[in-house]
Amino acid sequence: MFSTLQYSAATLALIASIGLGAGAVTAAGDDDGHHHGGDMRMAGVPGHADEATRSIEIAMHDNYYEPETIDAKAGETILFVITNHGSVVHEFNIGTAAMHTAHQEEMAMMVDHGVIEIDRINHDMMDKDMGGGHVMSHDDPNSALLAPGESAEVIWKFTEARPLEFACNIPGHYESGMMGDITVTP
Amino acid sequence: MRIEPRISRPAVALIAAVVGAQPVFAAGGDDALFTFFQMDQNEIRVGEHNGYVAEAQGWVGTDFHKAFLKTEVETEFGEGVEVAEVQLLYSRLISDFFDAQAGIRYDFEPHTSRAYAVVGLQGLAPQWFEVDTALFLSEKGDFSARVEAEYELLITQRLVLQPLVEVNVSFQDVDELDIAAGPTSAEFGLRLRYEFFREFAPYIGVAYERDLFDTADIARDHGEDVDALTFVAGIRLFF
Amino acid sequence: MVSLARFARSAAAAIAVAALSFPFAVAAETYNLSIGETTLDASGTERPALAINGSIPAPTLRFQEGEDLVINITNTLDVDSSIHWHGLILPFEQDGVPGLTFDGIKPGTTHTYRFPAQQSGTYWYHSHSGLQEQEGLYGAIIIDPVGREPFRYDREYVVVLSDWHDSPADDILANLKKQSDYYNYQQRTLMTFFDDVAEMGFGAALSDRLDWGEMRMTPTDIADVSGYTFLVNGRNPAQNWTALFEPGERIRLRFINAAAMTFFDIRIPGLEMTVVQADGNNVQPVKVDEFRIAVAETYDVIVRLKEDRAYTLFAESMARTGFGRGTLAPREDMTAEVPDMREPPILTMADMGHAHGDMDHGEMAMDHGAMDHGPMNHGDMGGMDHSMMGHGDGGGDPFYAPGSGLAPTAANGGRFLSYSDLKAQKPLYPWRPADREIEIRLTGNMERYFWSMNDLKYSEAEPIRLHLGERVRFKFVNETMMTHPMHLHGMWTILDVGAGKWNPAKHTVSIAPGTTVYADIEADAEGKWAFHCHLMYHMATGMFREVHVVRDPETASLDQGDGHAH
Repeated sequence: MFSTLQYSAATLALIASIGLGAGAVTAAGDDDGHHHGGDMRMAGVPGHADEATRSIEIAMHDNYYEPETIDAKAGETILFVITNHGSVVHEFNIGTAAMHTAHQEEMAMMVDHGVIEIDRINHDMMDKDMGGGHVMSHDDPNSALLAPGESAEVIWKFTEARPLEFACNIPGHYESGMMGDITVTP
Repeated sequence: MRIEPRISRPAVALIAAVVGAQPVFAAGGDDALFTFFQMDQNEIRVGEHNGYVAEAQGWVGTDFHKAFLKTEVETEFGEGVEVAEVQLLYSRLISDFFDAQAGIRYDFEPHTSRAYAVVGLQGLAPQWFEVDTALFLSEKGDFSARVEAEYELLITQRLVLQPLVEVNVSFQDVDELDIAAGPTSAEFGLRLRYEFFREFAPYIGVAYERDLFDTADIARDHGEDVDALTFVAGIRLFF
Repeated sequence: MVSLARFARSAAAAIAVAALSFPFAVAAETYNLSIGETTLDASGTERPALAINGSIPAPTLRFQEGEDLVINITNTLDVDSSIHWHGLILPFEQDGVPGLTFDGIKPGTTHTYRFPAQQSGTYWYHSHSGLQEQEGLYGAIIIDPVGREPFRYDREYVVVLSDWHDSPADDILANLKKQSDYYNYQQRTLMTFFDDVAEMGFGAALSDRLDWGEMRMTPTDIADVSGYTFLVNGRNPAQNWTALFEPGERIRLRFINAAAMTFFDIRIPGLEMTVVQADGNNVQPVKVDEFRIAVAETYDVIVRLKEDRAYTLFAESMARTGFGRGTLAPREDMTAEVPDMREPPILTMADMGHAHGDMDHGEMAMDHGAMDHGPMNHGDMGGMDHSMMGHGDGGGDPFYAPGSGLAPTAANGGRFLSYSDLKAQKPLYPWRPADREIEIRLTGNMERYFWSMNDLKYSEAEPIRLHLGERVRFKFVNETMMTHPMHLHGMWTILDVGAGKWNPAKHTVSIAPGTTVYADIEADAEGKWAFHCHLMYHMATGMFREVHVVRDPETASLDQGDGHAH
């Protein structure tokens, strides 16, 4: 139920490694939720629709979000309805600052290899074997990658009280301010 | 890097050159008037001659059209002025690096004063040789020519060694001037200057002058020296 | 930036005191500026200078997009003056080029400019009279957008870079005319010849000298003028302009190169910069370690300062004749290490437009595969091939000749901004093929120091005529060994970086030696416009054209380009 319009339902088992560089690679099928730059569970866990107590609409613009701050409670599951109102590709990704930093390298690689273009996503390239069994997919349950005009839903359960960020990790977008703060209170 | 000098308005430019400067401004005014004056030699010579020598040139004009002044003065201590020459030339840029020049030369000395018509080429030859060539026709109908070449060897950014050579040629005998047809005289110079500023550069060096071929024979017949080696010290000026 | 500037509303006068960060935020719609004489001690010697409201740089003007501006400029000099609004889109009569769009501001008079602010971003203003800009008449313009800025930052600072010379600008020009290498104290000498012999052997060193000697040009000719003191917001390196921040903040730096003759390579060691705007138009953000800013360009970058420490803002001149320096610091009086300058660049035969040993001056242009693709590629930008983007010739910047000695590299080995990284955030115009192409060969005479386009100085040339509504492709071919920042007034220059509709719209496009660069102009502004190299002494000596945008296509078709057959 937490699928995007573009992707088939994502599961943790499908967290595929994106990095082509040997160092940062996590093997596909590594289903413990490990992700580069930190444990994804630091940010929470994928939620289920029936647990969601409220929904928040997130509007993507070039290059910022509306709103830019979200308050959540530990244990709360929120349905994020995300729409890209901009004219270029954007991402919505929930994580810690460290997770975003790590993810930015992967996104830069996807841009460099033409998987993500300025205003479109080459889904066919995502499934392509980039060598060594690595594929450049982007279907983590804490995120949505949207071409202009697209919408998606992300259902996320916040587990621990800690500062988190939602961010677009397309190269340069986060750094120029396309990020928002999530305050998770106990 | 090709330029096409325009034939338009040389006379206007020359008049402007005489009348005065026009202001430089952003939209236009790229044909403004500038001036230049340099005393390349401004020195005391000691040795087989002792005297003061000055060689200077200056111009007023635009990129394509200039009024040029060239002058050379040589004095011998105790003897007075040996050589005094002034050239006034119209100078037109004809290629990236060369000007064609035409005008008059007037020699106050040596011997009797004499006027010449001048045509010449002055500019920068490949490998950085500064050359100045001129053909002279005297009021008496005599043809002569002069070729000067110099090189600026930068030892450091401010220490410059300047070799120089000048050769004079006459196309006929000129008895009044004790000159015979053919190469008449040559001068070699080697000057080492230090440019405290572009405008002010003290130097030391040597100069060697020599009469050549039949002209040298005439000098010998008169019991004169045919060559002279001198040490020079001076200040090159530029403004 | 230690100035008191007065902006008076037509009725009530308001006085704004310059703060270090936000110098002037005034909502008034009438601005009063006064051009006058002052003195400046930038190099250790007090010298005469020119200022606006007593300030060098001039007060930062902060406008609101949509605001109807009324700007009174009083000229207290005893010569004509003017103010040009660099990069602003406005009626040509308000553009401020004396002799072309108005008569200039006469001594003792006040001229009123009236135009709407119809754009947002970082721009600047400067005198367009004589060489006054060099002597202090330049300042920043910030136009805030109607909506929110599409960035997040906690503070912003304007960073106006300039080059101050103790000699009056007229004297500099006169010296260049007397001796074009008057200011070059980085010449190759006998000493450097010995170094070359040690490095490459006698034969190769001699052959190299002979190659350059044959052309009568020098590979160390990077900047025409030396002796500058480089200023950051009017402060020299020792005076150390300082911007304060709280650790954790994001800072927007609005860089403006108001120098007369100097390109800067800018970095902040220890910080990555995200370029978000170029020449007033937002670009898709690019993370870089360093960038080169051509004369008259602007770049806005956002930096995030996470640590409680000072950072040096280091702006080396491209010729390494000096540097501008400032500091970003959490507290006053904190400084960071100032790096050593790097070695000056040495031009190569590639910059001369030909391979080593090839003395043919005839065909100097080098077309880049990356940029020189026809309209058919632009139609389908979805299928844009990223392999074109500078990776074609070994990762070099396609906006420099392959093998160029000028192509920059980042001091930390990281990423150096290239024009090919610049893509419009929101294209100002839909992409369409150009109606025609005009070749602009950048030419000049180094030795005699005059500059031209298509071998003609401004005083020799006919205006370039465009007709209203057409899209014209300018083909810039740099046949000289200098880099020329070309500035078209009144209309955007849409630089072809190979990104089709995402090509960035700039007001100043820098053309490196030995390169060919294409840019499209949407001729949407009727009038007489200036078009010139923004290097002051290049503009003043002929690298200047009028561009007439006329309504009647028949008039326009009389002249194609220069209208000169040659």
